[in-house]
Parts: sequence; structure tokens; C-alpha cells
Amino acid sequence: MPPLLSVYNLKTYFHTYRGLVKAVDGVSFDINEKEIVGVVGESGCGKSVSMLSVLQLISSPPGEIVDGKVIFEGQDLLQYQPKGETMSSIRGARIAMIFQEPMTSLNPVLTIGRQLTEGLEVHLSMNPQSARERVVELLRLVGIPDAKGRLDAYPHQFSGGMRQRVMIAMALSCNPRILIADEPTTAVDVTTQAQLLELMQDMVVRFKTSLVIVTHNLGVVARYAERIYVMYSGRIVESGLADDIFLNPLHPYTIGLLKCVPQLGETRKERKLVPIQGLPPNLINMPSSCAFLPRCDRARDICRQKPWPSLELIEGQHYVACFRDGPETP
Amino acid sequence: MLEKTGRDAKPVDLAKWSETAPRYSETKRMISVFAGRPLPVIGFVIIALLILVAIFAPFLAPYPPNQMDIINKLQPPNTTHLLGTDSLGRDTLSRIIYGSRTSLIIGISVIAISSAVGIALGLFAAYFGGVIYHVIMRFMDALMAFPMLLLALLVASLLGAGMKNIIIALGIGMIAAPCRLMCGVVLSVKQNDYVMSARAMGMSNLRLMLQEILPNAFPPLLVMITIGLGAVILAEAGLSFLGIGITPPTATWGGMVNDGYKFVMTSPVLAISPGIAIMLVVFGFNMLGDGLRDALDPKLRGVI
Repeated sequence: MPPLLSVYNLKTYFHTYRGLVKAVDGVSFDINEKEIVGVVGESGCGKSVSMLSVLQLISSPPGEIVDGKVIFEGQDLLQYQPKGETMSSIRGARIAMIFQEPMTSLNPVLTIGRQLTEGLEVHLSMNPQSARERVVELLRLVGIPDAKGRLDAYPHQFSGGMRQRVMIAMALSCNPRILIADEPTTAVDVTTQAQLLELMQDMVVRFKTSLVIVTHNLGVVARYAERIYVMYSGRIVESGLADDIFLNPLHPYTIGLLKCVPQLGETRKERKLVPIQGLPPNLINMPSSCAFLPRCDRARDICRQKPWPSLELIEGQHYVACFRDGPETP
Repeated sequence: MLEKTGRDAKPVDLAKWSETAPRYSETKRMISVFAGRPLPVIGFVIIALLILVAIFAPFLAPYPPNQMDIINKLQPPNTTHLLGTDSLGRDTLSRIIYGSRTSLIIGISVIAISSAVGIALGLFAAYFGGVIYHVIMRFMDALMAFPMLLLALLVASLLGAGMKNIIIALGIGMIAAPCRLMCGVVLSVKQNDYVMSARAMGMSNLRLMLQEILPNAFPPLLVMITIGLGAVILAEAGLSFLGIGITPPTATWGGMVNDGYKFVMTSPVLAISPGIAIMLVVFGFNMLGDGLRDALDPKLRGVI
């Protein structure tokens, strides 16, 4: 069965006064049905931009989707106008998105009920009455107490965690095939994070939706994701099943990431947390060689001489973009 | 000293605890915010009185506005003419009362025209950006560079004086201000996460503009509109004062000041009383605008 969403060689560039920023430079990934996929990487590596590009939500100018294909249900979404009707009918209805900031992602002047019913009325042509009933049901599902009474509340009367629950309810309201959660738990505290992630997992199972979790938190993906893509400087450097990534990481960046995650049951003597040295490179005017080279503790001559390697299949579904077998440098 | 806590406290009745916050009515809150402070209420009362006076002018005015009584011209205030009479012997109070109609009609229609056009253009320009933005805003710059008085003179000379033409002239002249304000506010409002979020939910451009952006951009416009009403009434008074506004003998406050200032040494009340009426109404609109902004602005919820 073909994947639900296939992204091929996506390139999103930003034209800035300082130069061309290749925020996403040739990213390919697949999302299968009912699958939970994690996209991991540090700030500015292009995770969010790739996801926004899928829905063509990149503001242009300065952004521009230069190349690539986004095949969703057999159609290339990039052939449609970003502000056109076809894209609008896909956003929310077929592919929904949850953003990072629950505090500011709800319109302050509209009631919760109005914002939730809107999508249903637009996409599913529901009448206001039945939309309201469905919204009450959704709010109950995401765990808002007194769902019916809260419909006429305004966002400022909700806490951050509750707003993110509302966002989840809103995103799922039209039964989308894919839910993209862009750092959904970054802005809430740790206990709420766990609740929200559990909730999202429950909801995607219930609604038979695929879930893409974009995050910089490896703990989040370890627990929920079935497959993982690791991004660095606008490219995917390693991908595979969660077990492949966690048990047998191959790219030095992935290895470095895992080394700086503390694990339960370890004493300080057994292992120190090892940070990755240095900072991610500036995306303007990058050299063609591997972007991780300056920070890599396993760099070889071949890494400096040849351009960034493409993803290579290791085994099963495990892909790595690294010259692992090159000759050692002294 | 610290008080004892915990162990000595009585057991809490858990059933009394509620998971939800108590509900309150938004409308009640707005009214209480608005009514809780004196100036907006004063403004509201002035404007309400103005509207009532305009509607019931025939019943309130002691004389018809254009009834001349040459023998009793330029009378000081007395019991038969509370505010005296003008150079043609017309009752000043009656003319002020009827003049409120002119002011209100012109104020409301000019603001309606200019705000509707200005807001729509500003919203469009800022939302779509690019060429649309530049074309609309450069046009507004040109309009702003053109003195309103000159524009009114132009229209008056093309179409002739009269209420309809004054409304057209002022209506066009006042477009630029709400348009620029709207444009600026929308440029910032459209950056908000909830606009992106609504777009990600598949909302159309029209919905994004009217439902997500416009209501959030509205509070400053509301203030501008109410203050603008005052400004229009002033501008109309200015035009009538210059004699290119409403044609006599229709009673207008600006025209009355014009008639009256020639006699300011002998009968100061002739020019001063319509002047005070203008001032009171402008003040009332300004206060009303401020009060409305505070009551309606969602960002001030909980602060006031």
C-alpha cells in the first residue's frame, strides 16, 4: 500500500537580505496510515518549515518552496495555489496542524465554541446545531470538564494545557487523515506534557489518524513514535523505526543526541551526559560538505572532500546519510 | 509569628470544590466596565442627548429655525428667546436644536462612507500585501497630501454646495485615515499565531479577514471612528463657516458661528453658543470612544 503522504526532495528557501537560507534542502519522508512518526532535530533545523511547507503555509515572500513534491492521496499538493480553495479544503479537513503556542493559537475575540464549530461548518457543511453537539462531544473526549458550559467561554479563561486540548479537539474535529503536531508540548509544563501526549495518542487511535510529532525532545518520540526522522540543517540525516534509532544509532549526530539524554537508573559515575560541542551552522551560504562536519567527533577526510552524502539504506527501514565506512583520519 | 496551618485546620468539604470556573456574562462585564467610570458615561449622556434632541427637534425648539423676526433681531438672552436672536431675528436656541440634525446626519454618513471604504481598503492592502498594498497605500498617501479643504472646494465647485456634496467631499477626504490605521493594525494582527492556526484549519481568505483579523483590529478603529465623528462635525462646521458647506438658511452650527462672529463684540452668545455645542459634542464622542474601547477590547479583560 502506498504511503498516505509522500514528500519527495522538498526544498524550501528563504530569501533574506543576508543571503539565501536553505531552511529545507531536499527532504523526503513518508507518512503511512495510522502511524505515529517523530521528526526530531534541534532549533532551526527545518522541522517546522518542512511541515508548514506540506500545507503551503510558508509566508511568501520571503519563503519559497523551490522544488519537490508533496503527494497526498495521489495528488501533488504543491501544484495548488497556497491561498487557493483547494489548499483550504485540504487544510484542517484532510491534514490538520497543531502549533507550539497554545496561549496565542486561539483567537481572543471568538468563543471556544465558535472557533471549534467553524471548521465543521466550513469543511463538513454541518449546520450550527449539529456542529455544536459534535464539538461538545470532542471537548469531552479531550478532557475539558463541563464541556457544554465552556463552549461560550473565551480563550483567556482557559489555561495553557486546556487551550492545547482545545487545539487538539479543533484539529481533530473534521476527522483529518494526518495530524501534524508542531512541538505541541514545548510551551506547557512537564505534567501537562505527558497528559497531552497520552491524549494525542488516544485520539489518533480513536480517529484512525496518522500523527506526526515534531519535537526536539527525544523522550517524547521514544515513547510514542513508531518511526523517526532525525533532521539536521535542513536535511534528514537518519531515519528508521524507533528501535533502529534508539538501539542502533548510526549517524554521529543521532548518537550525540542520545548521549545527552539522561536515563533512569544511571548513577553519575556510570555515565556523564555528553553535550554535542559547538552550535548548528548558519544556514546562509553553507558549504556543500556535511553540515555536521565541524561538530563531528568521527570526521574523516572523505567528509571534507566530498559533498554531503545522501541517505543510504542500511537494513530494513533504517537510512543514514553518513560516510560511515570511509578511511579513518589520524 | 507564623500561624499554625495544616494539622489544626478543619477538614475541607471536597464536594464544594468545583473543577470549573464560575461563569459570568460578557455583556454584563462590558456594561459594568463602561458604566463604572464617569467620563465615558458623561460622553454617552451627551451623545444620547444629541440624538434625542435631533430626533425631537420640532417638539423641543420654541420657534421654527428659520422664522425671522427682524424687529427683535440681535436680542440678548431673555425669557422669550433663551439664547437671544441673530441678525435676522431668528431664535438661536431653535437653530442650535435644528443644527444638531445637520451635524448628526453629516457626521454619521461621512463616517459610514469613509470608514467602510477605508477599512475595506486597509484590510485588503495589509492582508494581501505586495502590489495591492503598494497601489492602495500610495493612493492613500496622495489623498492625505491633498488638503481636505481643497478637496471640499473642488467638489463644491464641481457639484455645487449642499448637504449631499459635503458628505461626498468629506467622505472621500476622510478615507485615508481609517485606511492607514487599519493597514497598520492588520499588518501586526495577521502575524498572530491564531491567524496561522485558522489558516491551517483551512479557513478561506475572506473568513480570515472578517473573522480572525477584523475583530482583533477593531478596537483602535472604534476609537478612531468616534473621534472621527467629532472631527467630521468640526470639519462640516469649518466648511459652513467658510460658506462652502451647507447652503443657508439651513441651520448648521458652523454656519451660525460664521453668522455670529461678526457680532461677537455686541452679542457674543450668537457665536459662542453654537461653538459650545460643537465642543460638547466632539468631547462627548471622544469620551464615548475611549469608554467603548476599554469595554470592548478583549486584551483589557480582567485588567479593568
